[in-house]
Amino acid sequence: MIEVEGTLKSRLAIWLLATVSALGVLLLVEAYFSSQHAAERAYDSQLEAAALTIAEAVQWEAGQPVVKIPSAALQILATRHQERVFYAVLDADGQRVSGNLDLDIAPEWRRRASSQPIWMNEAYQGTQWRLYGRELDSAGWETQDPVQIWVGHTMTGREALTEVLFEQAVTRFVIMVLLAGILMLLAMRVALAPLRRLRQQLRRRDADDMRPLDTRVPEEMREMAETLDSLFTRQRQGREALLRFTADASHQLKTPLAGLQTTSELALKRDSPDAWRQALVEVHGSAERTSRLASQLLSMARLRHAVEANATSRIDALALLHETAFDWAQRDAAQAHDIGLAPLPASPQYIQGEVWALRELLGNLIDNALRYTPPGSVITLGAVCHAQTLELYIEDDGPGVSPDVMAHLHHPFERGDRQDTEGSGLGLAIVDSIVRRHEARMQVESAEKGGLRVRLLFPYLTQHEEE
Amino acid sequence: MRLLVIEDDPLIARSLEQALTPLGNIVEVFTHHAQAREALQGGQFDLVLLDLGLPDGNGLTLLAELRQRGDTTPVLILTARDGVDDRVEGLDLGADDYLAKPFSLAELEARVRALLRRSQQRVDNRLVFGALTFDAASGVVTLNDRVLDLPRRELCLLEGLMLHAGSITPREALENRLFGYGDVGPNALEVYISRLRKRLDGSGLRIRTFRGLGYRLEEVSS
Amino acid sequence: MPIRRVALVWLLGALTPSLAWADTPLVVEAALDRVVAAPLLDAFEEAHPHIQLNFRDHSTLEVDARVADEESPPDVVISSAMPWQMARVNEGYAQRLESPEARAWPEWAKWRDEVFGFTFEPIVMAYRLDLSRHMMPPNTHADLHALLTQHRETLRGKVTTYSPLSSGVGYSLFQQDARYTPRFWDLVAAMGAADTHLEANTRAMLKGLSAGRYWLGYNLLGSYAMVWAQSHPEVIVQVPQDYSLVMMRMAFIHRDAPHPAAAREFLDFLLSQEGQRVIAGETPLFSVRPDVIGPYTAQRLRDQVGQRLYPIPLNASLLAFVDPSRRAAFLSRWQREFNRLSNPEPAQGAAPTE
Repeated sequence: MIEVEGTLKSRLAIWLLATVSALGVLLLVEAYFSSQHAAERAYDSQLEAAALTIAEAVQWEAGQPVVKIPSAALQILATRHQERVFYAVLDADGQRVSGNLDLDIAPEWRRRASSQPIWMNEAYQGTQWRLYGRELDSAGWETQDPVQIWVGHTMTGREALTEVLFEQAVTRFVIMVLLAGILMLLAMRVALAPLRRLRQQLRRRDADDMRPLDTRVPEEMREMAETLDSLFTRQRQGREALLRFTADASHQLKTPLAGLQTTSELALKRDSPDAWRQALVEVHGSAERTSRLASQLLSMARLRHAVEANATSRIDALALLHETAFDWAQRDAAQAHDIGLAPLPASPQYIQGEVWALRELLGNLIDNALRYTPPGSVITLGAVCHAQTLELYIEDDGPGVSPDVMAHLHHPFERGDRQDTEGSGLGLAIVDSIVRRHEARMQVESAEKGGLRVRLLFPYLTQHEEE
Repeated sequence: MRLLVIEDDPLIARSLEQALTPLGNIVEVFTHHAQAREALQGGQFDLVLLDLGLPDGNGLTLLAELRQRGDTTPVLILTARDGVDDRVEGLDLGADDYLAKPFSLAELEARVRALLRRSQQRVDNRLVFGALTFDAASGVVTLNDRVLDLPRRELCLLEGLMLHAGSITPREALENRLFGYGDVGPNALEVYISRLRKRLDGSGLRIRTFRGLGYRLEEVSS
Repeated sequence: MPIRRVALVWLLGALTPSLAWADTPLVVEAALDRVVAAPLLDAFEEAHPHIQLNFRDHSTLEVDARVADEESPPDVVISSAMPWQMARVNEGYAQRLESPEARAWPEWAKWRDEVFGFTFEPIVMAYRLDLSRHMMPPNTHADLHALLTQHRETLRGKVTTYSPLSSGVGYSLFQQDARYTPRFWDLVAAMGAADTHLEANTRAMLKGLSAGRYWLGYNLLGSYAMVWAQSHPEVIVQVPQDYSLVMMRMAFIHRDAPHPAAAREFLDFLLSQEGQRVIAGETPLFSVRPDVIGPYTAQRLRDQVGQRLYPIPLNASLLAFVDPSRRAAFLSRWQREFNRLSNPEPAQGAAPTE
């Protein structure tokens, strides 16, 4: 049964989207951090510039640093975002030369700034401030004491810039995803084209077109196409076999029917009851043969074309053997022979199989034995329990068959040496087919008394101990 | 015996009529289920030969109707379909026997005889086969009108054989009859069979052995 | 407030109890003459009858001190001392105003959307009408310097200007003057040589001019001067023609304002078309909004004076003026310059520098 579960397109789409989204999230996270970093660098350079501007305004009077804060420096600190600003100029002892807010510069910071300029974040009056501290070497006449310049501002501008940069990144990303989505749809159409082509090709085929596929496919579809091809081939072969078989069979049917026609035609030309009687006997025999052939052909057809394997069941092989022997022993055709059953093992033996087929199988073998042995012959059916297999056998004390013919016996329409009686050669072919279907083996050998023994070896249904 | 044949193929119908009439039977042939139904409702028949493949319906329906009415007339089904399922279905619905086409007339005759005999036995409560008669009520056996004095086991054995006269009586059935369900040696039955054989010597009847299967009481000429 | 008004408010309050606005008090600390601002305040009270306006008129230094009052901070702070206002805002004392008026306010007249310059007051010279009998009245700074030099003896003790020490706005104005030209210090020296009297506010200077104690005043607030001149015809107001400073009075809402909603309404009113129209029409404070028509608008001032209007920039550079070091340096220079020409009198027997 063919169940439709989603579409290839949706599978592709979902997976692509999932991966793109996952990557996208990572990208966005990275974009956020790099936006932040970029904003930080931009604004930090403002702090640096302001500090340098203040540094330029530091002068020395009587050994003391004096600074006239340039308003430009304050504007630089404030930036376009009108931040709140902080500045402090400290002398060598950390005392304020000048400054605005009462943000304390901790000694630890001064120490760090003395080796190199530092940037840091600090909370003050409920908001985050970004501070920059730098030490300025002096070259005065009286002293060479260093001076530290500290500047800072609030961070709204930075945050705004980060947001703007990040928004830009997000926008770009969204646009990219949309574009990618559209392109993806197009690409999928193109990529899935081979599937479409194959589908169209198959659809255009006639129902009974079994020619091999002639198409171009990508690597992944090669296996599927090859499997389809082999399916077509098998069907073609099956059909050819069927045609061959039908041809053979009809040929076989025509022969006795032609005989019937000629005999009856000839008989009509005669006018003695004896001649008619003779003709009728022949006609009767021919009719019987044709009937038998027809039913055998049916069996063959049934065997060759039955596809369902779930008709098998658990069968008591010994009971079946007994039943079949009983049935045939009662028949008219068996009256002249001595059909009997050898003593069977006491407990039931189970095999997996189809009842009708096994009946057919045994029936065909019994039928053959009846036909190919003279009246009065003893035909015995029996069973033997081997270690791995259950053997069902049929034995007769008739004339038997020579070894080199035995090999060909189960080809359809082969009759071996046994030409002296009626019957067609389908019987053993049917038997062979059934044997194979049941995963069993058939052995044909000469019996001790010169007749034929046919042994059928079936695998047990359950494990069995050696007797 | 009155026999009803439901068969639409003229060739087969004629053959049946010609084969069965000489046995002392009155054969009526119908080619459609509808007519046959009427005939069945009206008259009394001893046997019905029913071909399933008639154009106007499924013969099994007719059979089912018959049995539902409580009519126990023996029915022999004829059909070209040979599947096990068809057989089983037919027998389940109440047919007494089943014969696949193509059949040999000899086979047909034998089965008809067996069916008639069985039904006769049910009516009479007396088993008759050739020169033998067996009165189930009194337990008396006569051969050629001469009473045979048989020990109990032999009597049982003979009764069993006569019940299946014309067919093979299964071995197990005879053993159960004679010995119950106990364990007996394989030859125990043989002993009684051979004793019975001696008694039947020259009566035109014999007991034929079917190895591993059973025994059959039959007339010598066959 | 007039009894009538009280009754009206009471009546309104009684008639509309469902109004969410019960009577809210509003404390406005302002370095702004009540007389000058009266029309504006009246208009506000009319428009917002449910707000009880408490307008306190103090000096710039007092106003600045009250900003830091933790116990009872004012709701709105208005001052003409621009650097000090900016410093308070920088310290975080202002709260942001989110309103359409605030957003629409011109960028150059506001800072952080927290403090807004809502007036555009020119800084002027003023003189007595009868000065012209003695000398040519000054038009420009150069004229002033020339007068002070040539007519020093005539003008001795009769000139007045702001004291940079005691007036925040005065100090700011002098700082601005110093930015634009180094010749400013010559002017300071000239003023010092003429024994210029240093006053703490424009009102004092105007009173002195009217009383006749002063003949000439420099760097007065144009708004006050014009109002004064309307009722005192003997005083002439002159906007300097070479360049004129413009001072913007700055207002902000205190971050700890006890009545923030009312404060927002007040500041919005100052920035609104209505309020600015009152400023343009009924006060000499000069409105800032470009879409307002009236006699006292920034546009009109620009038309009159032209390119040489130099408004004091409302940005972080103002903070430089409150830098103590810088302030100290400026004041000490002021002192030096002021005394430059007059000091060496006794020792040298200085020749009159006419």
